[in-house]
Amino acid sequence: MIRFLAISLLATVVLTSCSLKTTEGLRQVPFTKIEVENPYFSNAEIDYVYKAKIEVYGKNFGGILIIKKIAAKSHRVVFTTEFGSKLFDFQFEDDTFTKNFIVEELDKKFIINILKDDFKLLVNEKAKILEVYESENQRIYKTHNDERFNFYFINAGTGQLQKIVNTSKTKEKMEIDFTSSDGKIADTIAIKHNNIKLTIDLEKFKKE
Amino acid sequence: MRNYFLLLFFIAFSSTIQAQDVTMNASEIAAFKEKVIASAKATQTIKTDFVQYKHLDFLADDVKTSGKMVFKAPGLVKWEYTNPYQYSVIFKEDQLLINDGGTKSKVDIGNSKLFKKLNQLIVNSVKGNMFNDSDFTVSFYKSSKYNKAVFIPKDKKIASYIASFELLFNKNDAQVFEVKMVEPSQDFTRIIFSNRTLNTTINDSVFSN
Repeated sequence: MIRFLAISLLATVVLTSCSLKTTEGLRQVPFTKIEVENPYFSNAEIDYVYKAKIEVYGKNFGGILIIKKIAAKSHRVVFTTEFGSKLFDFQFEDDTFTKNFIVEELDKKFIINILKDDFKLLVNEKAKILEVYESENQRIYKTHNDERFNFYFINAGTGQLQKIVNTSKTKEKMEIDFTSSDGKIADTIAIKHNNIKLTIDLEKFKKE
Repeated sequence: MRNYFLLLFFIAFSSTIQAQDVTMNASEIAAFKEKVIASAKATQTIKTDFVQYKHLDFLADDVKTSGKMVFKAPGLVKWEYTNPYQYSVIFKEDQLLINDGGTKSKVDIGNSKLFKKLNQLIVNSVKGNMFNDSDFTVSFYKSSKYNKAVFIPKDKKIASYIASFELLFNKNDAQVFEVKMVEPSQDFTRIIFSNRTLNTTINDSVFSN
């Protein structure tokens, strides 16, 4: 009996320590929906222009992030300094990534990989649903992302996408928070990494 | 249909009266340079508004930002964006003092030759006086509305960022009223100055963060 208790106690500790905080306290629910959508960069008519503030290991950088849907499944993502000189220019088309330009100082494989993964997730419009969870005011859609998973948090009342959390099987790796007044355009976007000290804050250009 | 022809007519007409660039001859270049150098020498301070247009070929509209620029001889420049966000950079000796909407930072450019060059370029383009810069091949053009100097970098590294650099000068006072930076991809940034005041007193405290 004592052995059984010890084993089950151990099992509980091991299992809970391995489980994701993201889905803690949530109940899994059945679902019929096939795909979850991110509407924030889906309109090809709109030039999405944001003031960007990047903090990496205590250093601050600023710039302008420009995103445009240029074809059915294709986005252009360009980052410039405030003065307008291009720092990088990427293109995402399905699973194909093209580096049109990057300044020499940033042209390092690990930097490009981080930027590529972050912006690919940011502009990706649709993902196939694996599981669905529910909380009091949110529906959470779990999707696949190579070796990892993404959790899309949708406000149950407004239907607006509020957050995407990227995880491994056991750990949260990165999170994107959105605020939006109309549910179509994100007014602010915050990208936060857990394993590296990198945050990217984006604020939509105000209309004149 | 009639309106359509009318429109075509206006387009054709307006393009013919639009300023045509003509290459300056040697004596015109000499006279122009002299005028710009004299004007730059007489300029102790500049205060001006500016509008910046970033052109990217895939966008519907250019990205527009605007603000104020302050210059004090020999080399202090404050570049301040006020719309649609607050961001300022002060070029001071070997440092850039940045204030990004309240987040202040400092960049030492003493060790970066490229940064120094770009900094020098900005200061000199404000003054217009950069004809003796051996790092560029310069060519001169004139039109009925302006004089134009086009700078093409000789250095390969600078050329990988900037294909050419154009300064447009007023005909009367030889002051720069537009700067255009063309990237190798042919995307470009245009900065247009307005409401310029010259030689007013500007306190050094303007150039601190």
